[in-house]
Amino acid sequence: MDTEPPLPPPRRVRHRSPTIRKQSHSQSRNARTAASTHLTKASRLSRFDDQSSQPSSDPALFSSDDIPASGLENYHTPVSSGTRKRRYRGTWWGETAHETKRKRADFKEKRLVDSGVWMGSDESAFASEGLSAVEDGEGWGEELVLMSRAEDTGTATEMDVRDQQGRGLAGVRAGFGRRVEEEPREHQVARAIVNDCLEKGQDSVDLSGGNLRAIPAGLLRPLLHLTKLPTIKEPPITEDVYSSLQPFLRLFLAGNALSTLSSELFELDSLRVLSLRNNKLTEIPPAIRRLTKLQELNLSVNRLHFLPWELLWLIKKGDLKHLTVRPNPLLQIEDSEILQWHVLAEKQEDPTAVKSCEYNGPPPEESWAPIHVATGPIHRYNMEGVPISDSTSTHAQSRVPSLREAALLCFSRSSYFDADAIPDDETIGFPSLTLRLLRQARDVRNAGGRSCSVCHRNFVIARTEWIEWWDCSTYENGLKGPRSSGERLRPLPFQRLGCSIACAPSL
Amino acid sequence: MSSSESPQAEYVTLVSGDGFEFIIPRSTACVSGTIRRMLDTSSKFSEALSGRCVFENLSGVVLEKVCEYFCYNEKNKDQTNVPDMDIPPELCLELLMAADYLDT
Repeated sequence: MDTEPPLPPPRRVRHRSPTIRKQSHSQSRNARTAASTHLTKASRLSRFDDQSSQPSSDPALFSSDDIPASGLENYHTPVSSGTRKRRYRGTWWGETAHETKRKRADFKEKRLVDSGVWMGSDESAFASEGLSAVEDGEGWGEELVLMSRAEDTGTATEMDVRDQQGRGLAGVRAGFGRRVEEEPREHQVARAIVNDCLEKGQDSVDLSGGNLRAIPAGLLRPLLHLTKLPTIKEPPITEDVYSSLQPFLRLFLAGNALSTLSSELFELDSLRVLSLRNNKLTEIPPAIRRLTKLQELNLSVNRLHFLPWELLWLIKKGDLKHLTVRPNPLLQIEDSEILQWHVLAEKQEDPTAVKSCEYNGPPPEESWAPIHVATGPIHRYNMEGVPISDSTSTHAQSRVPSLREAALLCFSRSSYFDADAIPDDETIGFPSLTLRLLRQARDVRNAGGRSCSVCHRNFVIARTEWIEWWDCSTYENGLKGPRSSGERLRPLPFQRLGCSIACAPSL
Repeated sequence: MSSSESPQAEYVTLVSGDGFEFIIPRSTACVSGTIRRMLDTSSKFSEALSGRCVFENLSGVVLEKVCEYFCYNEKNKDQTNVPDMDIPPELCLELLMAADYLDT
C-alpha cells in the first residue's frame, strides 16, 4: 500500500487553490507572501511524495475550469468576475500553481540574502586572492582594503604616465576595457565641472587650479555641443530676452600643471577665451590656428621660449585681440642671432650695434598691425629630423616629401594605428630610428597636427625651422591704442616650420 | 645584354623578394640613396654592372609603392604645389621601414 505513489484527488486541488487565491486577494500584500510560502511548501511536499512519476520534460500548462462560465467558446476572453483563470503547471496532481507575480515577490526578497555564490567580475583577480590568502574573518577585510589601496595608487601613477605621454583616445579606451572607475581624482572633478556646465548651459568653463597634469581624453569634446539655456523671465518681455543661444565659450585652465595640450582642445572651434596661465607648457602646438574665433588668449607664466607662428595668423586674420604672453622665458631679440632686419635699414649695416628699434611713421591702419621686425637664421633638418649643418647646395630644392615623411603622415592620419596600437613585441624588431619617428608622428598627431607655414601642407617632420620677430605690442594685454611714433618695439619670437627644404624664406 | 653591361643604361630593374620586377628610369630610382650607391659605377658592385637590384627584404606590394613614390617624386620635382601621395594605411609601416632601408 505504502509503496504505491499516492495520487491526491484532483478535487482537493481545485478546491484549495481558489480559496488561497481569494484569501490573497482579500488580504493585504504582506499577507500575500505568507500565502505564497504556504503554497510553495505544499507543492514541495507533494513533489517529494511522488518522485517516481516526476516527468523529465518541462511540465505542461493547463488551466482550471472551475469558473462557472468558462468553456471552449470564451477560453481566451477575460472573465467578468475579475479573477483570471488559474493556470497549472505540471501533472494535474502536481498542483503547482503558475503564478508569476508571487514568484517575482519571492525573488525580490531572496535577492538580499547572501547566496554564498560569489560571482567573478573583471576585478575578481585580486579580491579572490585576498579571500583565499587570509582565512580568518577579521583579517581579510583589512587585507582587501590594503590591496585596493595599492591598486588605486598603482593605477593612478599608471594613468599619470599615460597622460604624460599624451596618448589619445586609444589609451583611455584600453583603460576602460580593464578598469572603469580608477580615474585620478582631479580628472573626475574636471569631468564633473564640465558636465555641470553642460547641464546648466554655462559657457564659462572654469577648470583652473584643478591640478591637472594633462587634459584627460574626452573631457573637452562635449563642450562642442554646449548650448546656452534661454533666460526665462516674467511677462514684460524686453528686447534682451531674445539673446543668442550661441555660447561665448570661455575655458579657464589656469593654475594647472599641464605640460602638453591635446588635440581635443583645438577641436573647440567656437572657443572665444582661453586661459592657460600658470602651467608648465614648453610649447604651444601650431594647431592653435584652428581656434579661429579666439578673442582672448592668456599664455603667461609658462615655460615658453617662443610662440607658434600660427598665433600671428590669428592676430592678423582672426579675431584675437587680447594676447597675454609675458612673463615667459621668451627669447630676447637682443641675445639672438638675426639673419635679416626688416625694419630700419640703417641698423642692417651695423648689426652688432644697439639691437633695439623704434617705430616711426604712423600710417593709421598699420599702426595697429603687427610689424615684422627681423628673421632669425634658418635651421635645416634632414628627412630623419636630424639637423644638417651645411646649407642647401647638395640638397635638391624640391617640395616633394620624402617617402619617410609620406609614410609617417599616412601613419599619423590613419586611425588604423591608433595612438599606441602597435604592441611592444612588434616594435622590438624595428630599428630605433623608425621607432623614434613613429613616436614623433604620434606626438604630432596628439598635438593636433602640423601644417607647413609656407605651403600649408600637413607634415610630421619639420625640414626647416626659423624664428621670426614680430611686434604685436598693440595686441598685448588688450587693445589699448595704436602705436605712437617713437614707441619702442618689443618684438616677440614666433617659430615657423617648413615641410621641405624648399619651404624657407627667400632672403 | 650589351645594354645592361653599359654603365649608363637608361633603365634599371628592381626585383622584390618574391620575384616581382620593376623597370624604372635610372634617374628616378636614384632618389634613393641606397640605390644610388648600389648603382654607382665606380663601386664595381654587381648591381652597378648588371643594372639589376634585388631587394630580398621587400615584398612586391611594398616595392611597387616605392616605385610609385619614385615616379611621384620625379613628376613633382619642380612643382610648388605638391599633391599628397595616396598610401593605404596598412602599408605605411612597411613603407617606413623600406624608406629607412632605401634612405629616401
